Amino acid sequence: MNVADLRALRGPLLLLVLVLAAAGAAVYYSNMLREQAQAVLVQQQNQLREAQMRMQRSGDEKAIIVQYVDKYRELEKSGFIGDEQRINWLDALRNANERTDLFGINYEIGIQQPYPYAVEFNPGQIGLKQSVMKLSFRILHEGDLVRFFNALRAQNSGLFHLEQCVMRRTEDGGPLRYQPNIDAVCQLAWITATPEAPPGGRP
Amino acid sequence: MANKLLLCISASQATAARWRSGRLTDCTVFENSEAGVAEFRDYAATSGNTPAFVIVDAVEEDYRVETLPHATGSDRAQMVDRKLRQYYRGSPYAAASLIGRDSSKRRDDRFLFSALTNAEMVDPWLAVLTECGLPVGGVYLLPMVTAGLVEALGEKTGNVLLVAVQPVGIRLTFYRANAFRLSRLSRSDTAADARDRAVIDEISNTRLYLHALRAATLDEPVSVVLLDHADELGDTTRAIREDNPNLQCKYVDRAAIASLLKVDPELLALSPSVLYLQLLGARVPSNNLAPVKVTAGFQRYQMRRQLLVASAAVAVIGIVWSGYNIGEQYTLQSRTEDVARQTARVNAEYQKATQQFPTAPTTAENLRKATELADRLRSTEARPQGFLEVIMRALASSPDITLTELGWQYRPGEFETGAGAVGATGTATPAPAPGVVGSAGRRQSGLITGQVREFRGDFRRAIASINALAEDLRKDPAVEHVRVVQLPLNVSPKLALTGSTTDVRTQANTAEFKLLVVLKQST
Repeated sequence: MNVADLRALRGPLLLLVLVLAAAGAAVYYSNMLREQAQAVLVQQQNQLREAQMRMQRSGDEKAIIVQYVDKYRELEKSGFIGDEQRINWLDALRNANERTDLFGINYEIGIQQPYPYAVEFNPGQIGLKQSVMKLSFRILHEGDLVRFFNALRAQNSGLFHLEQCVMRRTEDGGPLRYQPNIDAVCQLAWITATPEAPPGGRP
Repeated sequence: MANKLLLCISASQATAARWRSGRLTDCTVFENSEAGVAEFRDYAATSGNTPAFVIVDAVEEDYRVETLPHATGSDRAQMVDRKLRQYYRGSPYAAASLIGRDSSKRRDDRFLFSALTNAEMVDPWLAVLTECGLPVGGVYLLPMVTAGLVEALGEKTGNVLLVAVQPVGIRLTFYRANAFRLSRLSRSDTAADARDRAVIDEISNTRLYLHALRAATLDEPVSVVLLDHADELGDTTRAIREDNPNLQCKYVDRAAIASLLKVDPELLALSPSVLYLQLLGARVPSNNLAPVKVTAGFQRYQMRRQLLVASAAVAVIGIVWSGYNIGEQYTLQSRTEDVARQTARVNAEYQKATQQFPTAPTTAENLRKATELADRLRSTEARPQGFLEVIMRALASSPDITLTELGWQYRPGEFETGAGAVGATGTATPAPAPGVVGSAGRRQSGLITGQVREFRGDFRRAIASINALAEDLRKDPAVEHVRVVQLPLNVSPKLALTGSTTDVRTQANTAEFKLLVVLKQST
């Protein structure tokens, strides 16, 4: 093929290139539309399947509601489910202090964060969060520590996990019999749960 | 069917026609003279860039059937080219076509070499075509196109001699088993009074010539087909039959030709060449005599057409493919809408069913999950009582040891033993970052700090007491391991040791130690 041939074929060659490009673009675009439509269909089919399964399980669902609703409301009332009830925690601290005859408790509550061990509990649609509380108080002996946390637990003002405690004997113990001679510093995590509303679910 | 310009050139005239939609139109006869060529120029100028095909009816023609050693590709091409140069050195219009394989053991290739030995006869006409920008598709000798006619006649006899009276003489073409073998144009007198005799003589001469060439012996039956486009050879046919009763003679008049080739009889009356133009229009033979430089334009024309056809094919494929995709898309959308309607219906049924449920603050699944989570969190809570009990049990058998500090934690890893603890000398393991921890293995561990009573500088006794405490702790079934973190005196050979014997009294009550205790993980 020489220059004259190429010159003579320039038009048809250009046309072929243009047609190839246009056809390729049309096929690509239409294929993309088809795949998108396919993906939407699959998504919709999954939703239908879920709806059908939910419908089939509606009998079981009723039984579950009957079985768990009261316990759930108790947990809500105690402050485990829903927003944090920090005032309740402080009231509980105060009450536990009084009931165990301790000498006052200093506290620090950190900001709320996701509960770092949530994965261990496979919470599903439930969001678990924690707020770390640091307590400083003085006790007569180690048994007071246990009694205090038992008393706090008995307040039923939420759910906490004791994570760490350090007790140090102080040397300033005087002659009085009921004078605290142990400094205790503890950290505990107040844990709260927040259920997420599933899409299309029952309110 | 592609449009063509067809041209049949003889010594006396040229007949041109246009081939459109499988039919001949605009048949025009031009004199083979300068004036005729000029008229043809006007004719060709109105043909756009239609490709032209030319047949030549000339005395100056040559045919040779040759056998060459079997070869393929460039070897064959070189061999054929060499033969063509050898036979037709002076003529640019020459060609060879493979007509079969020899029946001998070597199975040589059999070629038909043909040439127009008088190029000047066609050059003015081809010049006009080139001048008018018409691509020349090929130049052929007239007998090459009549093979299609023999097939159409369906002669049972293997040997057919086709006879036609042309403007410049009598054309006799011999076919054996429908394959071309020989053709000649005799310049005989074709006037009406001498025509019968001339035809009879030329048939006899041709048969003798065939016999001499060993193409067909005189004894072999030959079927003579007399083509009469002008309905003038009826008497000639009778004369042939009378002259040679053994010769099978078939007369094909204008009507028969018109019927056979589906051509207008009036066009046949115009010129005998119309018959051949019709055959050329219907099927272009393979023996193109024109050199590449003559057909270069046609090659470009064909490539242009192929590119256009390819473009059209690509466009059609693109349209069909895209159409299929769009059709599928609509089908899928339609199905999606159906499924969405079904989903909405099922959801509505579900909503209706849930109206019978007891009032609940969240979904049943959330109710169950939240309750179970609370139970699990409570059951997995670790309390320091167990750890304290382990320590107290061990201390019960070590009355000379007193604790000054006790740390406990329930976290991944062990209680850190460095300085800067949360209000103490031990350091609790920092809480992990949110979301980082999976089943990281939380465990209870602690650091006990104490001292030996009544030390009085007796390091040996103090260390023995501390080790005894550590050993007691190790024996506890709840303990996984115990590590002595600090002793009153570091006797490790890896560290330097300094002190004074006078310090004994002053250090009497400071034999401090630290033990790290790790409990077993609860299952």
